[in-house]
Amino acid sequence: MIELKNVCKQFGSVEVLSQIALEIQTGEIVGFLGHNGAGKTTLMRIMTTYLPATSGQVFIDGKNAATASLAIRAKIGYLPEKPPLYPNMTVNEYLTLAGRLHNVRPRDLKGAIASVCAECWLTDVQNSPIAILSKGYQQRVGIAQAIIHNPAILILDEPTSGLDPLQVVQVRALIKRCQSQRTVIVSTHILSEIEHLATRVVIIKQGTIAADASVEEVIRTQQSNTLEEAFLKLNRGRSPISC
Amino acid sequence: MRKINAIAQKELLALFCSPIAYVILFLSTVIFNVFFFMIIDQNREAQLKDVFTVVEFMLVFFVPIFTMKIFSEERASGTLEFLLTAPVKDIEIVLGKFLGLSIFLTCVLAPTLIYYFILSRFSDFDRLAALWGYCGLWLEGYLFIAIGIFLSSLCRSQIVAAMSSYMVLFLLYFTLSFKTYTQGMWSSVIGYAAVMTHTENFFTGIFLLSDLVYFVSGILFFLLLTKLVLKFR
Ligand SMILES: Nc1ncnc2c1ncn2[C@@H]1O[C@H](COP(=O)(O)OP(=O)(O)OP(=O)(O)O)[C@@H](O)[C@H]1O
Ligand SMILES: [Mg+2]
Repeated sequence: MIELKNVCKQFGSVEVLSQIALEIQTGEIVGFLGHNGAGKTTLMRIMTTYLPATSGQVFIDGKNAATASLAIRAKIGYLPEKPPLYPNMTVNEYLTLAGRLHNVRPRDLKGAIASVCAECWLTDVQNSPIAILSKGYQQRVGIAQAIIHNPAILILDEPTSGLDPLQVVQVRALIKRCQSQRTVIVSTHILSEIEHLATRVVIIKQGTIAADASVEEVIRTQQSNTLEEAFLKLNRGRSPISC
Repeated sequence: MRKINAIAQKELLALFCSPIAYVILFLSTVIFNVFFFMIIDQNREAQLKDVFTVVEFMLVFFVPIFTMKIFSEERASGTLEFLLTAPVKDIEIVLGKFLGLSIFLTCVLAPTLIYYFILSRFSDFDRLAALWGYCGLWLEGYLFIAIGIFLSSLCRSQIVAAMSSYMVLFLLYFTLSFKTYTQGMWSSVIGYAAVMTHTENFFTGIFLLSDLVYFVSGILFFLLLTKLVLKFR
Protein backbone atom coordinates (compact mmCIF):
# COMPACT_ATOMS: atom_id res chain seq x y z
CA MET A 1 0.00 0.00 0.00
CA ILE A 2 1.16 3.51 -0.83
CA GLU A 3 0.22 6.40 1.37
CA LEU A 4 1.05 10.04 0.72
CA LYS A 5 0.29 12.58 3.42
CA ASN A 6 0.26 16.26 2.47
CA VAL A 7 3.25 15.92 0.20
CA CYS A 8 4.69 19.21 -1.06
CA LYS A 9 7.63 19.69 -3.35
CA GLN A 10 9.46 22.89 -4.05
CA PHE A 11 12.30 23.52 -6.44
CA GLY A 12 13.87 26.68 -5.09
CA SER A 13 10.94 28.94 -4.45
CA VAL A 14 8.69 27.30 -7.03
CA GLU A 15 6.10 24.98 -5.58
CA VAL A 16 5.60 22.10 -8.00
CA LEU A 17 3.42 19.87 -5.83
CA SER A 18 1.23 21.07 -3.02
CA GLN A 19 -0.65 19.12 -0.38
CA ILE A 20 -0.85 15.84 -2.27
CA ALA A 21 -2.75 13.22 -0.26
CA LEU A 22 -3.24 9.79 -1.82
CA GLU A 23 -3.80 6.22 -0.73
CA ILE A 24 -3.24 3.44 -3.20
CA GLN A 25 -4.09 -0.18 -2.36
CA THR A 26 -2.50 -3.36 -3.65
CA GLY A 27 -4.08 -4.55 -6.88
CA GLU A 28 -5.02 -1.09 -8.10
CA ILE A 29 -3.89 0.28 -11.45
CA VAL A 30 -3.76 4.01 -11.02
CA GLY A 31 -3.39 6.32 -13.99
CA PHE A 32 -1.80 9.73 -13.50
CA LEU A 33 -3.08 12.30 -15.94
CA GLY A 34 -2.11 15.93 -16.22
CA HIS A 35 -0.93 18.65 -18.52
CA ASN A 36 2.77 19.05 -19.32
CA GLY A 37 4.53 20.27 -16.22
CA ALA A 38 1.66 19.29 -13.92
CA GLY A 39 4.00 17.37 -11.64
CA LYS A 40 3.37 13.71 -12.55
CA THR A 41 7.03 12.83 -12.97
CA THR A 42 7.95 14.72 -9.81
CA LEU A 43 5.32 12.84 -7.82
CA MET A 44 6.56 9.51 -9.16
CA ARG A 45 10.13 10.43 -8.31
CA ILE A 46 9.07 11.18 -4.77
CA MET A 47 7.38 7.78 -4.53
CA THR A 48 10.53 6.03 -5.70
CA THR A 49 12.57 8.02 -3.11
CA TYR A 50 14.65 9.53 -5.92
CA LEU A 51 13.54 12.96 -4.76
CA PRO A 52 12.73 13.83 -1.17
CA ALA A 53 9.47 15.62 -0.48
CA THR A 54 9.94 19.17 0.80
CA SER A 55 7.26 18.49 3.40
CA GLY A 56 4.74 15.77 4.09
CA GLN A 57 5.31 12.03 4.33
CA VAL A 58 5.38 9.06 2.03
CA PHE A 59 4.73 5.55 3.36
CA ILE A 60 5.13 2.41 1.30
CA ASP A 61 3.88 -0.75 2.97
CA GLY A 62 4.07 1.15 6.24
CA LYS A 63 7.69 2.17 5.74
CA ASN A 64 8.61 5.83 5.74
CA ALA A 65 10.38 6.91 2.55
CA ALA A 66 12.52 9.38 4.46
CA THR A 67 14.01 6.76 6.75
CA ALA A 68 13.73 3.40 4.96
CA SER A 69 14.45 4.32 1.39
CA LEU A 70 16.52 1.21 0.65
CA ALA A 71 13.78 -1.18 1.76
CA ILE A 72 11.26 0.78 -0.30
CA ARG A 73 13.40 0.82 -3.43
CA ALA A 74 13.69 -2.96 -3.22
CA LYS A 75 9.91 -3.22 -3.58
CA ILE A 76 9.59 -0.83 -6.50
CA GLY A 77 10.12 -1.29 -10.20
CA TYR A 78 10.46 2.06 -11.94
CA LEU A 79 10.55 3.12 -15.53
CA PRO A 80 11.59 6.78 -15.70
CA GLU A 81 10.22 9.10 -18.35
CA LYS A 82 13.38 8.68 -20.40
CA PRO A 83 14.43 5.02 -20.30
CA PRO A 84 17.69 4.92 -18.33
CA LEU A 85 19.85 2.86 -20.67
CA TYR A 86 23.57 2.37 -21.18
CA PRO A 87 23.95 2.40 -24.96
CA ASN A 88 27.21 0.47 -25.08
CA MET A 89 25.80 -2.51 -23.19
CA THR A 90 23.88 -5.34 -24.77
CA VAL A 91 20.33 -5.99 -23.59
CA ASN A 92 21.57 -9.04 -21.69
CA GLU A 93 24.38 -7.18 -19.97
CA TYR A 94 22.06 -4.37 -19.00
CA LEU A 95 19.40 -6.65 -17.59
CA THR A 96 22.08 -8.58 -15.70
CA LEU A 97 23.19 -5.32 -14.12
CA ALA A 98 19.60 -4.35 -13.29
CA GLY A 99 18.99 -7.78 -11.73
CA ARG A 100 22.15 -7.70 -9.66
CA LEU A 101 21.40 -4.21 -8.37
CA HIS A 102 17.85 -5.26 -7.52
CA ASN A 103 18.85 -8.22 -5.38
CA VAL A 104 17.92 -10.98 -7.85
CA ARG A 105 19.83 -14.06 -6.67
CA PRO A 106 22.64 -15.13 -9.00
CA ARG A 107 21.10 -18.52 -9.68
CA ASP A 108 17.72 -16.96 -10.55
CA LEU A 109 19.19 -14.26 -12.78
CA LYS A 110 19.29 -16.20 -16.05
CA GLY A 111 15.69 -17.34 -15.65
CA ALA A 112 14.54 -13.84 -14.71
CA ILE A 113 16.20 -12.33 -17.78
CA ALA A 114 14.74 -14.97 -20.08
CA SER A 115 11.28 -14.44 -18.69
CA VAL A 116 11.30 -10.61 -18.90
CA CYS A 117 12.75 -10.78 -22.39
CA ALA A 118 9.95 -13.08 -23.44
CA GLU A 119 7.41 -10.86 -21.70
CA CYS A 120 8.71 -7.68 -23.39
CA TRP A 121 9.42 -9.31 -26.76
CA LEU A 122 13.14 -8.80 -26.55
CA THR A 123 14.37 -12.34 -27.03
CA ASP A 124 15.60 -11.74 -30.57
CA VAL A 125 17.67 -8.69 -29.62
CA GLN A 126 19.10 -9.98 -26.34
CA ASN A 127 22.66 -9.83 -27.62
CA SER A 128 22.40 -6.55 -29.51
CA PRO A 129 23.93 -3.37 -28.13
CA ILE A 130 21.21 -1.08 -26.83
CA ALA A 131 22.59 1.78 -28.94
CA ILE A 132 21.44 0.18 -32.19
CA LEU A 133 17.90 -0.64 -31.04
CA SER A 134 14.96 1.44 -32.25
CA LYS A 135 13.21 3.76 -29.81
CA GLY A 136 10.37 1.33 -29.22
CA TYR A 137 12.74 -1.52 -28.47
CA GLN A 138 14.69 0.71 -26.09
CA GLN A 139 11.45 1.56 -24.33
CA ARG A 140 10.77 -2.16 -23.93
CA VAL A 141 14.24 -2.68 -22.44
CA GLY A 142 13.31 0.07 -19.98
CA ILE A 143 10.13 -1.81 -19.04
CA ALA A 144 12.06 -5.07 -18.75
CA GLN A 145 14.51 -3.60 -16.23
CA ALA A 146 11.58 -2.33 -14.18
CA ILE A 147 10.04 -5.78 -13.79
CA ILE A 148 13.14 -7.97 -13.61
CA HIS A 149 12.98 -8.32 -9.83
CA ASN A 150 9.26 -8.98 -9.78
CA PRO A 151 8.47 -5.84 -7.78
CA ALA A 152 5.39 -5.42 -5.62
CA ILE A 153 4.91 -1.89 -6.90
CA LEU A 154 5.39 -0.87 -10.49
CA ILE A 155 5.76 2.79 -11.38
CA LEU A 156 5.79 3.53 -15.10
CA ASP A 157 6.27 7.05 -16.43
CA GLU A 158 4.76 7.16 -19.92
CA PRO A 159 5.52 3.51 -20.67
CA THR A 160 3.94 3.42 -24.11
CA SER A 161 5.59 6.49 -25.59
CA GLY A 162 7.31 5.52 -28.81
CA LEU A 163 5.71 2.09 -29.10
CA ASP A 164 3.86 0.84 -32.16
CA PRO A 165 0.13 0.09 -31.76
CA LEU A 166 0.78 -3.63 -31.50
CA GLN A 167 3.27 -3.05 -28.71
CA VAL A 168 0.95 -0.63 -26.96
CA VAL A 169 -1.61 -3.42 -26.76
CA GLN A 170 1.08 -5.83 -25.55
CA VAL A 171 2.27 -3.46 -22.84
CA ARG A 172 -1.27 -2.89 -21.71
CA ALA A 173 -1.77 -6.63 -21.46
CA LEU A 174 1.49 -6.87 -19.53
CA ILE A 175 0.37 -4.22 -17.07
CA LYS A 176 -3.00 -5.96 -16.65
CA ARG A 177 -1.23 -9.23 -15.94
CA CYS A 178 0.84 -7.49 -13.29
CA GLN A 179 -2.23 -6.18 -11.55
CA SER A 180 -3.27 -9.20 -9.51
CA GLN A 181 -0.36 -9.23 -7.08
CA ARG A 182 0.91 -5.73 -7.59
CA THR A 183 0.16 -2.07 -7.40
CA VAL A 184 0.71 -0.32 -10.71
CA ILE A 185 0.99 3.41 -11.26
CA VAL A 186 1.12 4.66 -14.82
CA SER A 187 1.39 8.17 -16.15
CA THR A 188 0.39 8.88 -19.70
CA HIS A 189 -0.97 11.46 -22.07
CA ILE A 190 -2.98 8.85 -23.96
CA LEU A 191 -6.42 9.05 -22.45
CA SER A 192 -7.72 5.92 -24.14
CA GLU A 193 -4.94 4.02 -22.42
CA ILE A 194 -6.24 5.07 -19.03
CA GLU A 195 -9.76 4.11 -20.09
CA HIS A 196 -8.55 0.64 -21.09
CA LEU A 197 -6.32 0.09 -18.17
CA ALA A 198 -6.81 2.02 -15.00
CA THR A 199 -9.07 1.10 -12.15
CA ARG A 200 -8.62 4.62 -10.89
CA VAL A 201 -7.53 7.91 -12.38
CA VAL A 202 -5.76 10.75 -10.62
CA ILE A 203 -5.78 14.01 -12.52
CA ILE A 204 -3.06 16.43 -11.48
CA LYS A 205 -3.38 20.09 -12.28
CA GLN A 206 -0.61 22.50 -11.46
CA GLY A 207 0.66 20.35 -8.65
CA THR A 208 -2.63 19.60 -6.97
CA ILE A 209 -5.03 16.70 -7.33
CA ALA A 210 -7.96 17.91 -9.41
CA ALA A 211 -9.77 14.56 -9.52
CA ASP A 212 -9.28 11.14 -7.97
CA ALA A 213 -11.88 8.51 -8.83
CA SER A 214 -12.72 5.78 -11.30
CA VAL A 215 -12.87 6.75 -14.97
CA GLU A 216 -16.67 6.56 -15.03
CA GLU A 217 -16.98 8.69 -11.96
CA VAL A 218 -14.67 11.37 -13.30
CA ILE A 219 -16.68 11.52 -16.52
CA ARG A 220 -19.92 11.68 -14.53
CA THR A 221 -18.86 14.38 -12.09
CA GLN A 222 -17.59 16.55 -14.93
CA GLN A 223 -20.87 16.01 -16.78
CA SER A 224 -18.99 14.85 -19.84
CA ASN A 225 -19.30 12.06 -22.34
CA THR A 226 -15.68 11.04 -22.58
CA LEU A 227 -12.59 11.16 -20.41
CA GLU A 228 -11.05 13.57 -22.87
CA GLU A 229 -13.88 16.01 -22.42
CA ALA A 230 -13.69 15.69 -18.65
CA PHE A 231 -9.93 16.23 -18.75
CA LEU A 232 -10.29 19.35 -20.86
CA LYS A 233 -12.99 20.69 -18.56
CA LEU A 234 -10.82 20.12 -15.52
CA ASN A 235 -7.95 21.94 -17.18
CA ARG A 236 -10.09 24.80 -18.43
CA GLY A 237 -8.30 28.13 -18.21
CA ARG A 238 -4.94 26.42 -18.56
CA SER A 239 -4.93 25.75 -22.26
CA PRO A 240 -5.98 27.82 -25.27
CA ILE A 241 -8.59 25.18 -26.13
CA SER A 242 -11.98 25.95 -24.68
CA CYS A 243 -14.67 23.37 -24.40
CA MET B 1 30.08 -6.23 -2.20
CA ARG B 2 28.09 -7.85 -5.00
CA LYS B 3 26.61 -4.55 -6.03
CA ILE B 4 29.95 -2.77 -5.83
CA ASN B 5 31.34 -5.43 -8.16
CA ALA B 6 28.39 -5.11 -10.52
CA ILE B 7 28.94 -1.36 -10.82
CA ALA B 8 32.72 -1.75 -11.18
CA GLN B 9 32.19 -4.25 -14.00
CA LYS B 10 29.78 -1.90 -15.72
CA GLU B 11 32.35 0.91 -15.57
CA LEU B 12 35.10 -1.29 -16.97
CA LEU B 13 32.81 -2.45 -19.74
CA ALA B 14 31.96 1.15 -20.58
CA LEU B 15 35.64 2.10 -20.64
CA PHE B 16 36.73 -0.79 -22.81
CA CYS B 17 33.81 -0.24 -25.20
CA SER B 18 35.18 3.20 -26.00
CA PRO B 19 38.36 3.93 -27.94
CA ILE B 20 39.56 6.24 -25.13
CA ALA B 21 40.70 3.31 -23.00
CA TYR B 22 42.86 1.91 -25.80
CA VAL B 23 44.28 5.32 -26.68
CA ILE B 24 45.29 5.90 -23.05
CA LEU B 25 46.78 2.41 -22.72
CA PHE B 26 48.71 2.80 -25.97
CA LEU B 27 49.96 6.34 -25.33
CA SER B 28 50.93 5.69 -21.73
CA THR B 29 52.88 2.56 -22.61
CA VAL B 30 54.73 4.34 -25.42
CA ILE B 31 55.51 7.46 -23.39
CA PHE B 32 56.57 5.54 -20.28
CA ASN B 33 58.84 3.24 -22.27
CA VAL B 34 60.50 6.06 -24.19
CA PHE B 35 61.22 7.95 -20.99
CA PHE B 36 62.43 4.85 -19.19
CA PHE B 37 65.07 4.18 -21.82
CA MET B 38 66.02 7.85 -22.12
CA ILE B 39 66.38 8.30 -18.38
CA ILE B 40 68.35 5.11 -17.83
CA ASP B 41 70.56 5.95 -20.81
CA GLN B 42 71.30 9.47 -19.55
CA ASN B 43 71.60 8.77 -15.82
CA ARG B 44 73.47 5.50 -16.17
CA GLU B 45 72.09 4.74 -12.75
CA ALA B 46 69.95 1.81 -11.66
CA GLN B 47 67.06 3.59 -9.98
CA LEU B 48 63.47 4.38 -10.93
CA LYS B 49 62.94 7.69 -9.16
CA ASP B 50 63.07 9.83 -12.29
CA VAL B 51 60.90 7.40 -14.19
CA PHE B 52 58.31 7.63 -11.43
CA THR B 53 58.39 11.43 -11.68
CA VAL B 54 57.53 11.23 -15.38
CA VAL B 55 54.76 8.70 -14.79
CA GLU B 56 53.39 10.89 -12.00
CA PHE B 57 53.27 13.89 -14.32
CA MET B 58 51.52 11.89 -17.03
CA LEU B 59 48.88 10.74 -14.53
CA VAL B 60 47.84 14.36 -14.12
CA PHE B 61 47.01 14.31 -17.84
CA PHE B 62 45.51 10.86 -18.14
CA VAL B 63 43.30 10.51 -15.07
CA PRO B 64 40.76 13.28 -15.86
CA ILE B 65 40.20 11.71 -19.29
CA PHE B 66 38.75 8.58 -17.79
CA THR B 67 37.14 10.10 -14.71
CA MET B 68 35.36 12.99 -16.42
CA LYS B 69 32.24 11.14 -17.48
CA ILE B 70 31.91 8.80 -14.54
CA PHE B 71 29.00 10.70 -12.98
CA SER B 72 28.40 13.61 -15.35
CA GLU B 73 27.35 11.30 -18.16
CA GLU B 74 24.94 9.43 -15.88
CA ARG B 75 23.48 12.73 -14.76
CA ALA B 76 23.08 14.04 -18.30
CA SER B 77 21.61 10.85 -19.76
CA GLY B 78 19.26 10.13 -16.87
CA THR B 79 20.84 6.81 -15.89
CA LEU B 80 21.67 8.23 -12.47
CA GLU B 81 17.95 7.82 -11.80
CA PHE B 82 18.35 4.10 -12.56
CA LEU B 83 21.17 3.74 -10.03
CA LEU B 84 19.59 5.90 -7.36
CA THR B 85 16.20 4.18 -7.48
CA ALA B 86 17.75 0.72 -7.17
CA PRO B 87 18.21 -0.67 -3.66
CA VAL B 88 21.87 0.31 -3.65
CA LYS B 89 23.52 2.49 -1.03
CA ASP B 90 25.06 5.73 -2.30
CA ILE B 91 28.42 4.66 -0.93
CA GLU B 92 28.18 1.39 -2.90
CA ILE B 93 27.71 3.36 -6.10
CA VAL B 94 30.71 5.54 -5.31
CA LEU B 95 32.90 2.58 -4.31
CA GLY B 96 31.82 0.59 -7.37
CA LYS B 97 32.88 3.40 -9.66
CA PHE B 98 36.10 3.91 -7.74
CA LEU B 99 36.90 0.21 -7.94
CA GLY B 100 36.23 0.10 -11.69
CA LEU B 101 38.48 3.06 -12.42
CA SER B 102 41.16 1.80 -10.02
CA ILE B 103 41.30 -1.46 -11.95
CA PHE B 104 41.70 0.50 -15.15
CA LEU B 105 44.48 2.57 -13.59
CA THR B 106 46.18 -0.68 -12.66
CA CYS B 107 46.03 -1.70 -16.33
CA VAL B 108 47.74 1.60 -17.21
CA LEU B 109 50.46 1.32 -14.56
CA ALA B 110 51.05 -2.43 -14.54
CA PRO B 111 53.24 -2.44 -17.70
CA THR B 112 55.72 -0.18 -15.88
CA LEU B 113 56.46 -3.07 -13.48
CA ILE B 114 58.60 -4.48 -16.25
CA TYR B 115 61.17 -1.76 -15.48
CA TYR B 116 61.57 -3.25 -12.05
CA PHE B 117 62.33 -6.65 -13.52
CA ILE B 118 64.68 -5.22 -16.15
CA LEU B 119 66.70 -3.38 -13.51
CA SER B 120 66.69 -6.37 -11.14
CA ARG B 121 67.96 -8.57 -13.93
CA PHE B 122 70.83 -6.34 -15.05
CA SER B 123 71.86 -4.50 -11.92
CA ASP B 124 71.98 -4.59 -8.21
CA PHE B 125 69.52 -1.88 -7.31
CA ASP B 126 67.46 -0.94 -4.27
CA ARG B 127 64.43 -3.12 -4.85
CA LEU B 128 62.60 -2.13 -1.69
CA ALA B 129 62.84 1.55 -2.58
CA ALA B 130 61.51 0.83 -6.06
CA LEU B 131 58.58 -1.17 -4.72
CA TRP B 132 57.77 1.59 -2.27
CA GLY B 133 57.90 4.02 -5.17
CA TYR B 134 55.36 1.92 -7.05
CA CYS B 135 53.09 2.04 -3.98
CA GLY B 136 53.33 5.82 -4.05
CA LEU B 137 52.49 5.92 -7.73
CA TRP B 138 49.43 3.75 -7.28
CA LEU B 139 48.23 5.70 -4.24
CA GLU B 140 48.67 8.95 -6.12
CA GLY B 141 46.64 7.57 -9.03
CA TYR B 142 43.87 6.50 -6.65
CA LEU B 143 43.83 9.96 -5.08
CA PHE B 144 43.55 11.57 -8.52
CA ILE B 145 40.71 9.20 -9.38
CA ALA B 146 38.86 10.05 -6.15
CA ILE B 147 39.21 13.76 -6.95
CA GLY B 148 38.06 13.17 -10.55
CA ILE B 149 35.02 11.21 -9.39
CA PHE B 150 34.07 13.94 -6.94
CA LEU B 151 34.32 16.70 -9.54
CA SER B 152 32.42 14.63 -12.09
CA SER B 153 29.61 14.15 -9.58
CA LEU B 154 29.21 17.91 -9.39
CA CYS B 155 28.87 18.49 -13.13
CA ARG B 156 26.43 17.65 -15.83
CA SER B 157 28.95 18.35 -18.54
CA GLN B 158 31.93 16.09 -19.11
CA ILE B 159 34.02 18.97 -20.41
CA VAL B 160 33.44 21.03 -17.28
CA ALA B 161 34.27 17.96 -15.17
CA ALA B 162 37.51 17.42 -17.09
CA MET B 163 38.52 21.07 -16.94
CA SER B 164 37.91 21.34 -13.22
CA SER B 165 39.82 18.08 -12.63
CA TYR B 166 42.78 19.44 -14.59
CA MET B 167 42.69 22.62 -12.56
CA VAL B 168 42.66 20.82 -9.22
CA LEU B 169 45.26 18.24 -10.20
CA PHE B 170 47.64 20.82 -11.63
CA LEU B 171 47.21 22.92 -8.53
CA LEU B 172 47.94 19.90 -6.35
CA TYR B 173 50.93 19.05 -8.50
CA PHE B 174 52.49 22.48 -8.68
CA THR B 175 51.60 23.71 -5.18
CA LEU B 176 55.10 22.95 -4.01
CA SER B 177 56.45 25.74 -6.23
CA PHE B 178 54.46 28.29 -4.21
CA LYS B 179 56.06 27.16 -0.99
CA THR B 180 59.09 29.38 -1.50
CA TYR B 181 56.87 32.47 -1.54
CA THR B 182 55.28 31.74 1.82
CA GLN B 183 56.47 31.58 5.39
CA GLY B 184 55.53 30.09 8.72
CA MET B 185 52.27 28.23 8.98
CA TRP B 186 51.33 28.74 5.32
CA SER B 187 54.58 27.27 4.22
CA SER B 188 53.98 24.08 6.17
CA VAL B 189 50.33 23.87 5.10
CA ILE B 190 51.31 24.17 1.44
CA GLY B 191 54.15 21.75 2.01
CA TYR B 192 51.78 19.13 3.42
CA ALA B 193 49.03 19.74 0.86
CA ALA B 194 51.34 19.38 -2.14
CA VAL B 195 51.23 15.91 -3.57
CA MET B 196 54.90 16.06 -4.59
CA THR B 197 56.09 16.41 -1.01
CA HIS B 198 54.74 12.93 -0.36
CA THR B 199 55.49 11.23 -3.64
CA GLU B 200 59.07 12.45 -3.36
CA ASN B 201 59.45 10.41 -0.18
CA PHE B 202 57.83 7.36 -1.74
CA PHE B 203 59.99 7.57 -4.87
CA THR B 204 63.23 7.84 -2.92
CA GLY B 205 62.22 4.94 -0.72
CA ILE B 206 61.63 6.94 2.46
CA PHE B 207 58.89 5.43 4.57
CA LEU B 208 56.85 8.02 6.47
CA LEU B 209 53.49 7.30 8.02
CA SER B 210 52.35 10.86 7.32
CA ASP B 211 52.67 10.22 3.56
CA LEU B 212 50.49 7.15 3.78
CA VAL B 213 47.96 9.05 5.89
CA TYR B 214 47.95 11.88 3.33
CA PHE B 215 46.91 9.60 0.46
CA VAL B 216 44.52 7.32 2.32
CA SER B 217 42.72 10.17 4.05
CA GLY B 218 42.62 12.15 0.80
CA ILE B 219 41.01 9.25 -1.05
CA LEU B 220 38.45 8.67 1.72
CA PHE B 221 37.72 12.39 1.96
CA PHE B 222 36.84 12.77 -1.72
CA LEU B 223 34.85 9.54 -1.88
CA LEU B 224 32.79 10.61 1.13
CA LEU B 225 32.29 14.06 -0.40
CA THR B 226 30.98 12.35 -3.54
CA LYS B 227 28.56 10.35 -1.42
CA LEU B 228 27.32 13.62 0.07
CA VAL B 229 26.84 15.09 -3.40
CA LEU B 230 24.69 12.09 -4.34
CA LYS B 231 22.67 12.48 -1.18
CA PHE B 232 21.92 16.14 -1.86
CA ARG B 233 21.57 15.71 -5.60
N1 LIG C 1 14.95 19.32 -10.96
C1 LIG C 1 14.07 20.31 -11.17
N2 LIG C 1 14.41 21.59 -10.89
C2 LIG C 1 13.54 22.59 -11.08
N3 LIG C 1 12.30 22.44 -11.55
C3 LIG C 1 11.90 21.20 -11.86
C4 LIG C 1 12.77 20.05 -11.68
N4 LIG C 1 12.10 18.94 -12.07
C5 LIG C 1 10.89 19.36 -12.45
N5 LIG C 1 10.75 20.70 -12.34
C6 LIG C 1 9.56 21.50 -12.65
O1 LIG C 1 8.48 20.89 -12.02
C7 LIG C 1 7.31 21.00 -12.80
C8 LIG C 1 6.69 19.63 -12.94
O2 LIG C 1 7.52 18.83 -13.74
P1 LIG C 1 7.19 17.31 -14.05
O3 LIG C 1 8.31 16.79 -14.84
O4 LIG C 1 6.86 16.63 -12.80
O5 LIG C 1 5.90 17.44 -14.95
P2 LIG C 1 5.08 16.31 -15.71
O6 LIG C 1 3.70 16.36 -15.22
O7 LIG C 1 5.79 15.02 -15.62
O8 LIG C 1 5.15 16.86 -17.20
P3 LIG C 1 5.21 16.06 -18.60
O9 LIG C 1 3.83 15.67 -18.91
O10 LIG C 1 5.69 17.08 -19.55
O11 LIG C 1 6.12 14.92 -18.43
C9 LIG C 1 7.73 21.61 -14.12
O12 LIG C 1 7.37 22.95 -14.10
C10 LIG C 1 9.23 21.48 -14.12
O13 LIG C 1 9.83 22.54 -14.80
MG1 LIG D 1 6.64 13.76 -16.92
